[in-house]
Amino acid sequence: MKRLGLLATAAALALSVVPAFAADDVIIGVIYPLTGNSAPVGLDAKVAYDVTAEIINGTHAPLPMLMGKGGGLDKLGGAKIKLVYADSQNDPQKARAEAERLITQEHAVAVLGAYTSATAATISQVTDRYEIPFVNADSTSPSLSQRGLKWYFRTTPHDEMFSQAMFKFFADEGAKTGHKVTKIALFHEDSLFGTDSSNVQLKLAADAKIDVVADVKYRANSPSLSAEAQKLKAADPDAILPSSYTSDAILIMKAMHEIGYTPKAVMAQAAGFQESGFLAGVGPLSEGVFSRSSFALDAVKSRPAIEPVNALYKAKNNKDLNDNTSRQVTGLVVLADAINRAGSTKAEAIRTALIATNVPGNQTIMPWAGVKFDENGQNIEGTPVIQQVSGGTYHTVWPADVATQPAVWNVGK
Amino acid sequence: MQVALSGLLMGLIYALVAAGLSLIFGLMDVVNFAHGELMMVAMYAAFTLWQVSGLDPMIMLPLVALLMFGIGMAVYRLLIARALAVRFNKGMVQIFVTFGLAIFIRGAAQMVFGGEFRAVTGTALADRSWHLGGIFLPLPQLAAGFVCLLAFGGLYLIGRTEFGHALEATREDRDAVALIGIDRDRIFSLGWGLGAATLGVAGVMLAGFYYVSPNVGANFALIAYVTVALGGFGSLMGALVAGLLIGEVEAVTAQLLEPSLKQVGMFAIYLAVLMFRPRGLFGKI
Repeated sequence: MKRLGLLATAAALALSVVPAFAADDVIIGVIYPLTGNSAPVGLDAKVAYDVTAEIINGTHAPLPMLMGKGGGLDKLGGAKIKLVYADSQNDPQKARAEAERLITQEHAVAVLGAYTSATAATISQVTDRYEIPFVNADSTSPSLSQRGLKWYFRTTPHDEMFSQAMFKFFADEGAKTGHKVTKIALFHEDSLFGTDSSNVQLKLAADAKIDVVADVKYRANSPSLSAEAQKLKAADPDAILPSSYTSDAILIMKAMHEIGYTPKAVMAQAAGFQESGFLAGVGPLSEGVFSRSSFALDAVKSRPAIEPVNALYKAKNNKDLNDNTSRQVTGLVVLADAINRAGSTKAEAIRTALIATNVPGNQTIMPWAGVKFDENGQNIEGTPVIQQVSGGTYHTVWPADVATQPAVWNVGK
Repeated sequence: MQVALSGLLMGLIYALVAAGLSLIFGLMDVVNFAHGELMMVAMYAAFTLWQVSGLDPMIMLPLVALLMFGIGMAVYRLLIARALAVRFNKGMVQIFVTFGLAIFIRGAAQMVFGGEFRAVTGTALADRSWHLGGIFLPLPQLAAGFVCLLAFGGLYLIGRTEFGHALEATREDRDAVALIGIDRDRIFSLGWGLGAATLGVAGVMLAGFYYVSPNVGANFALIAYVTVALGGFGSLMGALVAGLLIGEVEAVTAQLLEPSLKQVGMFAIYLAVLMFRPRGLFGKI
């Protein structure tokens, strides 16, 4: 009994010491798939967040962006951002448990995440229950911001906004160049991301009076996608609209090529198609692939912070910022700015500051109009771009004001 | 027709992956949960050799097969032999040893190679197809199918040698063979080597047209277990027939029903076999 009492005292002491010790740092929980099939994305995200935290915390020449002057959070006496990572393994249940752990054990004042929409969904349930802000930097299922959550904030545009951009691009290009898109085929994986994305695309196609000649839903991480490629070939659409993660993106491009099918156009819902692993994995087969993007690495003229931030990231990870990592940088910057403006680590104060966020686009590294949340916590100023692969990298082709190249049709022959 | 052919070619790969698993299971009643991961090792070996030498992975096939043979033997000597020697809870220990090995290999691959998806590109066969009267035959897969058949031929021939008979005898009664002077440990470790070498062949051929990542094995391992159970534990012929069957069923289900349901057909057949012929199509046990 005596020993138990001693242990209890020691434990109480330890507990009382930890928060006091941590008071200087502002702890933000970061949940990503760090192992498993989506690990490449999660590991890149970790580098992106580490680099961003260094920009916010460190001493350096000021960067031309929000929170770019360094030195920590000035309204909190120069407090430093401290990121605590957790591995969701891309499993919604593990993500839920990790979110709880970060909040209750690590005392995170806010949570960042999560890449896949299915894990963002469970994390957002936990953060709403514990009343802790969750800034979702990069999950794009429209339904995530339609659940009336109070503590959920999404900086990235969602798939409905992305898909609208695709259809707008089709219409613009049709009017300008005569390449009309009248029939499309959907190709999407069977989890939340693919399902939501295709539902929106079905609706938008109906509105635009475009025929959906095939709607191919497939099992994510299948060993083979040749039967799926066959279906797409038989439908022969003007454009294929895939919503896939990296492994399936590689497989379907290879599978289509193997059966001698060169689609007239591929308009990807980013994700796997924007990964360097995809470009390297399929090599020349990626030429001419269109993808929506929330990022434009080539928009350096209107976004002066892109070059310095990209240089810092590249020094650590030996690759350029992409659609995912750029949004992750932006997610942390927006959250850190809100905590700073709140001047407090109290959840309610941070939430109020997030609601008041109004950042112009040129203060970020994104080609967006800006960051401003609606009553559902959705950023309504995240205007997407359309990019196309040429010479092994993505170039922005739409909208005209940030485009660096004209769109090319019927390529890859 | 195209669908049937694609299914057939994929089926051959499934069959060869399953053959190694079946061999080990049939020989010593050990389910190797690290099977998919060993194949992943072979794929990374092929990828690395290609990156270093620039030669087509197929040329390096014997090298990778030999390497995998060594790895298979080492796994047996260092882990499995010890797991077999425990007195209590043998089954559990074997499961956890191979399961732990799987997680270890996957973690090691992620540490050494990173989580990136990689692919062998620019080889003589890469991304090329034969066009025959409306049907496209992708060359890397065709070559893979052919080599898989050769490997099956090789396994069959090995089965007819003295070593093969020793293997068969050890399978039948592992204690009795000791009496006639067969070194059981040696046979087992050679069996593991052979099983891993089969994976080496499958991995190299797969690397010719598939992406390489630390998790690539998991996609194939599940199908390998189903293939082995369907074909019958320890039966080479069973693995071949079941592999082809699964490849076909998968392709046809995807064509007739929703592609997202393509594994339904394969598991339906598996369940039917379990119900009506639990030992598998060609099972002896």
